[in-house]
Formats: sequence, structure tokens, C-alpha cells
Amino acid sequence: MSEYIIQTQGLTKQYGARKAVNQVTLNIRRGDIYGFLGPNGAGKTTTIRMLLGLIRPSQGRIHIFGKDLHKHRMSILKKVGSLVEYPSYYGHLTGYENLEAIRRILDVPKSRIDEVLSIVRLTQDAKRPVKGYSLGMKQRLGIACALLGQPELLILDEPTNGLDPSGILEIRELIKSMPQQHGITVLVSSHLLSEVEQMANRVGIIQHGEMVFQDTIDSLHNRAQHRIQIAVSNPEQAFRTLASSGCSAEFNEESLVLDYMPDNKVAAIVELLVRNNHSVYRVEEKRQSLEEMFLALTREGSRQ
Amino acid sequence: MIGKVLSSDIIKIRRTWIWLLIFLGPFGVVSLQAINFSLRYDYLTKLYADDLWGGLLNNVQYLAAPALLFGITLIASMIAGLEHRLKSWKQLLALPVSRFHVFTAKFALNLILLLSACVLLAAGSILLGAGLGFGWDIPWQRLFIISFYPFFAAMPVLALQLWLSIVMRNQAIPLTCGIMGTILSLYSIKMPDWMPLKWPHLVNAADVPEYSVLAGLAAGAVIYTASLVHFARRDVN
Repeated sequence: MSEYIIQTQGLTKQYGARKAVNQVTLNIRRGDIYGFLGPNGAGKTTTIRMLLGLIRPSQGRIHIFGKDLHKHRMSILKKVGSLVEYPSYYGHLTGYENLEAIRRILDVPKSRIDEVLSIVRLTQDAKRPVKGYSLGMKQRLGIACALLGQPELLILDEPTNGLDPSGILEIRELIKSMPQQHGITVLVSSHLLSEVEQMANRVGIIQHGEMVFQDTIDSLHNRAQHRIQIAVSNPEQAFRTLASSGCSAEFNEESLVLDYMPDNKVAAIVELLVRNNHSVYRVEEKRQSLEEMFLALTREGSRQ
Repeated sequence: MIGKVLSSDIIKIRRTWIWLLIFLGPFGVVSLQAINFSLRYDYLTKLYADDLWGGLLNNVQYLAAPALLFGITLIASMIAGLEHRLKSWKQLLALPVSRFHVFTAKFALNLILLLSACVLLAAGSILLGAGLGFGWDIPWQRLFIISFYPFFAAMPVLALQLWLSIVMRNQAIPLTCGIMGTILSLYSIKMPDWMPLKWPHLVNAADVPEYSVLAGLAAGAVIYTASLVHFARRDVN
């Protein structure tokens, strides 16, 4: 059996002339928390719908648990829990009844309802109609529904959308506990890198329907550029000083920004500045934040 | 599997207006006839002196046919609208259940609800006749025909309305179609026999109500099969 839980090859969905998803290759390993990133409208939800068999790919293949989704849809979906965009709930029913409606289809024991309610900490509110729930509670109920069938794979589309910071934190902790406590592989989509960064170990970035990056979060970090920032008394003059000695730099209101360089070169520049009567306040190494990298990656994609 | 989906669907319509509607339809028909017969008691009992029960049941049937079509429209739209409003088709269809079963369970739910309405109509007719002092010599066969035949003859309408309601997110479209159909059906007795809206009235050239029922069941099965194929293949957004 392959170590990949989800594997797609050349996955494409075409609406008229527009390719909403173009040649997407996803590789998700067992035990991963895979962050599926992209700006709104990049094709995340379309891809996820294809993974769940809700829409048919125009081209390409999907293998989940090593089996072809098209041929073994039912047996695959038995082991998959999902929450697509906004949670679906029947507002006039209580949380418990919502779960019961799904339990009857999944045919799992009734005790499982209490288990999932306690996992998402909704036990106390289970007997209230869902229309009175807060957004965070609805979202947790959605996750409870997804967990009901004891899935091996959890597919969550924007699970923290519209939540307040404490709600986000709660969902994030919940997601992080899945692989360790329940042995569940998680695919979680988001348009916020900062969000995914805090829970995922692998990321895929999609832009205009195409994958622009897929690797571990660490390798994404490694790709981030390092720069040297020197805070000086008068950046503009300091910039000229450096330029006249043949050293390229950029400046802003407070500091000079230089490309990454070895220690001795940094020392030489500081010496040069001091000799020319500039006050040097701070010398910092700046890492490009992942957020900036994400923007850079998605911008590259949009130029194509 | 259909049973599981159906039992799940039955939970979903808890505490909705659907149950009330099932009661209100037959109740409305019977109470209108109660008014009709109590206002014109002398005239109508003279008119139907030979066959009091038959006269009553014919009157009930006359009102029941449009009420049934309207009821079908509303019930189909409410059941499908429940899933549309909550955007839960995607959740339902991402479960390990085939679309064939999902669609069939919705159809079965409609059948069960509307059959309950038919039973209520039969019960209401008996109570009305007895209340009007027509005695207990009830023409059971005729009662069965006016209570259930129109529903079977209306199968194509049910299949069509259910399909429209499930496929269209905007329920105004199936509702408009259904209401137009209901209004047209008031005049359908004069229409040719092939007109499906005429079938619930059980009127045809041969004067055999079973023909209308058979036509309804056959056309209903065809529309149901076609919509099932369409539903199974369509993308869920």
C-alpha cells in the first residue's frame, strides 16, 4: 500500500474555457496535517469538492487510500469526514439531532454522538437548537459531524472562516490534536498562511488553479530570504555613502536594507558608516515572513 | 440503505411546518365541503337523494385534485428547500451514500407524507358524511378511489416537482410551475386525455379511472428515472 493518503494526478476542472483547477498534483501522507493554501477563488474549494466526489473532474485521477475515487467512492467516503465551507446544519434541530440525522446514514453506534460532542466540547449545548449557536459552535458542530464516522481522513475547507481569535485558536488546537490523538490525517484549506503555519506540517499553495508550491512547512521557511537591516541616523545620506563605495542597498525612513551578506562584509559596512559620521542604532537580520513569501508566490502565479 | 437515508430525512423534518401542512390540506378540503353541504343542505340532499355518499365524495374529489397538486408542489419544495437553505446537499452527498439512494429517499418521503394526507382525506370524508347524517353505509370502494387514485394519477407532477425543487436552488421556479399547474388543472377536465394535469380528476374518454392511474404511474416512473439519472451525474456546488 502506498504511503500517500491522497494522491492526485493532473487533476483539472474546466468550466467553459476557464480552468478552475489545472493539472493539480496533491500528495498527502498518512499523519500529515496538510495546509492547502491559496487566495480566494484559486481553486481550493473546487479541488476539495472533487476529492469528495461532489463534482466530476474534467481530467485527471484521484486516489484516496490508494484506491481510485471514481471506482470506490462509497468505500472511500466511509473513511472520510468533511466540512466544506460553511458548516451545514439544520437550524431547527438541536445539535444532537443534527448528529443523529447523519448517524443514521453512517450507521455508527449512538454512543459515538456523545464521543464526538465531547471531542468538540459541545456536550452541554447538545440539546439546544442549532440556530441559537454561535458561529464557533456551529463550526465545531460541523467538525463533530465530520468526525462522526470515525474517519481516517478529515477534509476541512476553511474551518476558521469568520471566527473570532479565540474561536480560531480553539479550532486550531482541535485540528492539531487529530493526528496524535485519533490517528487522523487532515487536509485543511485556508487563505491565511499565518493560520496554516501554526498547525500544518506540509503545505500546498494553489494560485489560479495551479499548484505553485508543495513541500514541508520547514522548506517553505528555508526558502524565505534573509536580509540585513541597519537602522541609522540619516538613511538617505547613508545610502549615498554606501553607493559611492560601490555597495548597493535600499533605504526607507529609518534604515538601510541590504541583501544577505557574510559577517565580515557587514562589519565593513558598519565601519564605513561610522567613519562617515553616521550613527548606527541597530543591525538586524530580517527574515522575509512567510506571509510575504506567500504573497510573492501567489503574485508570481498571477503574472503567468 | 434507502431506509437509513429516509430515517435521517424524517429527523430533519421534525418541528417544521411540513407536518402541519399534511394535516391542513385534507382538513381544508373537508371543511370547505362541510360548509358547502351545510349551507345548501336541502338543495344538495335533494340533488343527490339517490346516492348521498356518492354525491359527497364527488364533491370532495372535485376540490381534492387541485389541493393535491398544490400540496405536492409545497411539500416537494419544502423538503428540497430544507437542504438548499442550509446548503447541506454537499454535506449529504459527501457521506458514503449513493445519490440514487438520496434521491429515492426524498421521493419516498414525499410519498409517505402525501399518502398520509390521502388517508386523512378519507377519514375526514367519512366523518363529514356521518356528521351530515348520511348514515354508515359507506361506499368503501368509491372512497378508496377518490382518496388515493388522484394521488397515483398525479405521479408525473410529483416527480417533476421534486426534480425541479432539488435541482433549482431558487424555489420560486418550482413553486411557480406547481401553482400554474394547479390553476391549469382546474380547467383540465376539458383538455384532451393525454394531458397529465387531467389525470388526477380521473376523467377520460373510456370512463375508466384506472386508466388515469396507470398513465400517471407510467409517466411518473419515466420522469423519476430521467431525473434520477440527471441528479446522479450533476455537480454539487
